[in-house]
Amino acid sequence: MKWPFLFYILCLINLAACDRQVLPDNDVQNAAIKFAIAQSPLNLDPRYATDASSERICRLIYQSLVDFDASMRPIPQLATWNAVSAQAYQFNLILSRNVFHHHEPLTADDVKATYDSLVGLKDSPHASEFANIHHIAVQNQDTLTFYLKQPDAHFAEKLIIGILPKRLIEAGHDFSRQPVGNGALAFEHWQNQLRLKRVADGQEVVFHEVKDSTVRVLKLIKGEVDLIQGDLPPELVKYLQSQPDIKVLSTTGSNFSYLGLNVQHPVLSRLKVRQALAHAIDREALIRQVMVPDTRVAGAILPPEHYAGNADLRAYTYNPRMARQLLIEAGIQLPLKLVYKTSTDAQRVRFATILQAQMRPAGIDLQINSLDWGTFFSDIKHGNFELYGLTWVGIKTPEIYEKAFGSEYFTPRGVNRGRYRDATLDAFLLEKDWRSVTLRIHQQLPYIPLWYEGQFVAFNRHIKNYAPKSDGNWDDLATISHDAH
Amino acid sequence: MILLYRLTRFISVIFGVLLLTFLLIHLVPGDPIEVMLGESASTVDRAELRRDLGLDKPLIYQFGHYLNQLAHGDLGRSIHTKESITSLIAARYPATVKLAFVSLLIALIVGVPLGVYAALRANRWQDFIVTIISVRFAAMPVFWLGPVLMLFFAVWLGWLPVSGMDNHGAIVLPAITLGLGLSAILTRMTRTSLLEVLNDDYIRTARAKGLSARTVVLRHALRAAILPIITIVGLQMGSLLAGTVITETIFSWDGIGRLLVESIEKRDYPVTQACVLVVALSYVIVNLATDILYQLADPRMRSY
Repeated sequence: MKWPFLFYILCLINLAACDRQVLPDNDVQNAAIKFAIAQSPLNLDPRYATDASSERICRLIYQSLVDFDASMRPIPQLATWNAVSAQAYQFNLILSRNVFHHHEPLTADDVKATYDSLVGLKDSPHASEFANIHHIAVQNQDTLTFYLKQPDAHFAEKLIIGILPKRLIEAGHDFSRQPVGNGALAFEHWQNQLRLKRVADGQEVVFHEVKDSTVRVLKLIKGEVDLIQGDLPPELVKYLQSQPDIKVLSTTGSNFSYLGLNVQHPVLSRLKVRQALAHAIDREALIRQVMVPDTRVAGAILPPEHYAGNADLRAYTYNPRMARQLLIEAGIQLPLKLVYKTSTDAQRVRFATILQAQMRPAGIDLQINSLDWGTFFSDIKHGNFELYGLTWVGIKTPEIYEKAFGSEYFTPRGVNRGRYRDATLDAFLLEKDWRSVTLRIHQQLPYIPLWYEGQFVAFNRHIKNYAPKSDGNWDDLATISHDAH
Repeated sequence: MILLYRLTRFISVIFGVLLLTFLLIHLVPGDPIEVMLGESASTVDRAELRRDLGLDKPLIYQFGHYLNQLAHGDLGRSIHTKESITSLIAARYPATVKLAFVSLLIALIVGVPLGVYAALRANRWQDFIVTIISVRFAAMPVFWLGPVLMLFFAVWLGWLPVSGMDNHGAIVLPAITLGLGLSAILTRMTRTSLLEVLNDDYIRTARAKGLSARTVVLRHALRAAILPIITIVGLQMGSLLAGTVITETIFSWDGIGRLLVESIEKRDYPVTQACVLVVALSYVIVNLATDILYQLADPRMRSY
């Protein structure tokens, strides 16, 4: 029986030889920066991109007419603009930025071709946003005007779709797998991993899809990847903070987590029940125990630093006794049984179980229904729920209040998933009085705000010029570099 | 005649799988149109896209259209990415096959010798230790074993990559993760099956003839004990070829298991159906191979 042991020893020697690679310092500077992400982009055509990875990478490959500043006010990216009338917006391209990665100039014709093609796409999730465009007129190479069917004060803020070359649109180019834009990073290759190259200095960035959070952390520690951002449970963030070769940076975020309510449900239609639910959640404890650093209690969808935010909203305090009292006053026989729907994501399920425990002293018996994403989201969209938990990601404009709570915006017209109707709120929305809007929502609780999740990034110490952003974008890949020292 | 019988059975199994998959995926809640267009798309746009994709037609028509496509060797295109499903599967399936074979190899190399060893030392301390080890391996979930192996072999020892597919050594850890669990089952099965045979009269006769212990075990006993082992190997190979979603996910192994799960999440009907078809075909082929191996191992089976 000696040969098996010899065989095993040979195997171990083989294994030991498999993966030993140490790069010298000068090679470190030239090496590609490896970014481990939880989900590969699904579609790099900005007319189709909806998932977070695709949108974040599209921001790097393409440029749009408009972007947003720190307080989420629209600012020029490729063009300045002015409202010619309530139904016409003129855009003037900023010449210095206008060259595509394949060296053709970006002109007003490309802008028109991009939006014309988008409006004509039947299967684009963004097409309906631009259904209000009547036509686009090009005045000259740098100037064009969008004419609208109906007045829209927020129209300019919607023009965040990356601009594509007209010639390639007409040729039926596959932008989803071979994007061509004029952003800071140019597309190189996408087989198993997506590889981009920075236009300014040729620095390569490679995106590795690593779905499992523990594995992402192990790959970072071993140096197989250079950085990871977000999508980690707090215990792994703490573990990374304790690693000498890893640097963790965090900042406050703007992605808003909330508890959705079906206000057409006979019990949840009562304000006192909704208030009881708000008082039955200990947000501070949840943030402390199961959330990542820099997570903060939320009062409304848009954070206080947003121009339409409201810093004066005070979160409902955890008070199970008061919650129980409110339920009794509402005529509810305790315990109140409610079904909470969530996805199968481990962090979401963990949050649901904590919520269940927190609500019990208030007399609420929360039953958790964990469903696969397709089924869960389908139920939410069709109003087939009592309670659910979700997060709004990347919301920039206050129009969200109208779409999420306006009486006219039940799905599919908007995203008023809870079927909330409130004439007073509708009046405030019409006046675009955001302060009154947020206050009214805070009082009436068509949903229960939870928190804005903190944003963090962890990278090897030789990485510099990268910092997390409040909406979790990856814009700093345009400046990131290796530090050989 | 046997060939005709097998062919009929093969076609009916594949047809049954196709029909069931088609019905089940259309029964579960969720709609590809909603996934594609989001919540805010107008009813008109939804209806138009549904019509373009042929999803407004009766199910029986859609199924007939799908069978017709298949008969022409066309698996269709992904609803979401528009990619050819044939190329999607061609890109993913070889990775699954590779992982399945290496895992099975590890399981056989570890499991069968350990099983033989345990049987030869039955009810002694060596047997006890092998039993404990194999039960432990069988009980270890891959989502735990995988990261532990990564931590040990990749992070601490630095011998292997943590995950991915871009290094030749990358297959070792996922294959060990899958192979160890399977090897434990093979160890138990080999031990039990060999113990039954070792007490038979013809083994006693072989020993009495003065044959060496090695010859008795390897040429006589193991050959007779191999049938249940072939059954287990066949069944396990079928499951491995169906894709091992958790292992593929943990090790970022782009196999068919992940493709299948992703397509179900996105309600990408054609991709789901194609993946299930490939998996069903794999099972049928592995079963056929198992039958042939039976006949090679035991001449009495050739009459069946």
